[in-house]
Amino acid sequence: MRVDERTRDVAQGGKRNTQGNSGGTNRPASNQNGKSAGSRQSVAAARQLSAGQNRTQLIIGGVAIVVIVAIIVVGLVLNKKESAVQSEGYGASTQSVATTANGIVTVSKPGSTPAVTIDLYEDALCPVCAEFERQFGQQINKAVDEGTLAVNVHLLDFLNPQSFSRDYSTRAAAASLCVAQEDGSTPGAYLGFHSALFASETQPQEGSSGDLTDQQLADLASTSGAPAAAECITSGRNIAAAVAASTTSQETLKKATGGQVRTPTVVHNGAPVQLSVDWLSKLLAQP
Amino acid sequence: MTRGRAVRDGLGLLARLGLSATFLVSGGLKASDPRETVVAVRAYGLLPESLVTVVAAALPYLEIALGVLLLLGLATRLAAVMTGVLFVVFIGGVISAAARGLSIDCGCFGGGGTVEAGQTGYAAEIVRDLGFLVLAAYLVFRPDTPLSLDRWARSRSGSTA
Repeated sequence: MRVDERTRDVAQGGKRNTQGNSGGTNRPASNQNGKSAGSRQSVAAARQLSAGQNRTQLIIGGVAIVVIVAIIVVGLVLNKKESAVQSEGYGASTQSVATTANGIVTVSKPGSTPAVTIDLYEDALCPVCAEFERQFGQQINKAVDEGTLAVNVHLLDFLNPQSFSRDYSTRAAAASLCVAQEDGSTPGAYLGFHSALFASETQPQEGSSGDLTDQQLADLASTSGAPAAAECITSGRNIAAAVAASTTSQETLKKATGGQVRTPTVVHNGAPVQLSVDWLSKLLAQP
Repeated sequence: MTRGRAVRDGLGLLARLGLSATFLVSGGLKASDPRETVVAVRAYGLLPESLVTVVAAALPYLEIALGVLLLLGLATRLAAVMTGVLFVVFIGGVISAAARGLSIDCGCFGGGGTVEAGQTGYAAEIVRDLGFLVLAAYLVFRPDTPLSLDRWARSRSGSTA
């Protein structure tokens, strides 16, 4: 049907009323006051239109809400899958030992020949690294214990300025070197300390008003199964080594990523790994 | 069609598609890095830990959903109202972070978390969000835009009435 200009105007009014939630009847009523018969007719037409359009509005609103709910539900399912903790329930590593070379800690099962070796770049202060540890820590523990995975852990210190003490990342990296040197042969000790560094009750927040002292780091090592490291940690013996290792590791990381230093990054065969939920399963499944 | 109407149509379309593109990009970036989104939401320090993960999971997809509705022009007024409410919440969050002296990245387009003091962009973030709020408000008052399912459905129901 072709609407002439007059009905179109009223239809516009009707439409506005339908959408406006209020005054739905006032406007046509005021139009009616002493106006021509033609106007009255179009008001009647508008009312008819308005009934049909009310229904349309309801349908549109309903469809829109269904669309929103559907997208969010699908999203929540995807998100749950994507952020699911891997190998949940496995717990701490029981077989792994750690060695150090040039300030980099290598974790593997003694006597194993792991098919996959990854380089893991983290900063002890990095909150996303804590999420990474929460999601993949147990899966890494399990793969290392099974002898299929070796991990070179690079603890960087580029987030120092964000820490309360201005050198927390360095001190945590040095402490982890101490644990690897003094207690590295104790099965699970190094990975236990590593997990503890990123636990939500331990990790200091960026820009917060406190972090762990060397004594607290030593206590943390003791409680996570590395009591022999305490003196090394409190004396600051590995501070210089940690700074040097962070510098060289940032260089190797930049080479792998094409210039970017961000943590956590996993490098395998010289290239950064896209950290989807199944990155480690995929690596381990490779022939 | 009068000139005023043509201008209104153009403005409405621009507001709708502009907001839609913004949401699809920001929601997509947030959805693609769930670990970082959790950290960004947590950095505001406004929500208890149990809600942080829920909001971080749902927010990207709420943004995508609003982006889709605005792209299609489906229930434009409803979508615009929800958009406005969302931006009021965003602006409130940023103002609260600024007032508490936090130095965080808003995480508006992915990323987020703490940044170096002096690298925060609160004022610019608030101005930008106010701009989006104005666009949303325009669509609340004039939701009828060209190339929209709303207008198409209305013309159909009009012709059958």
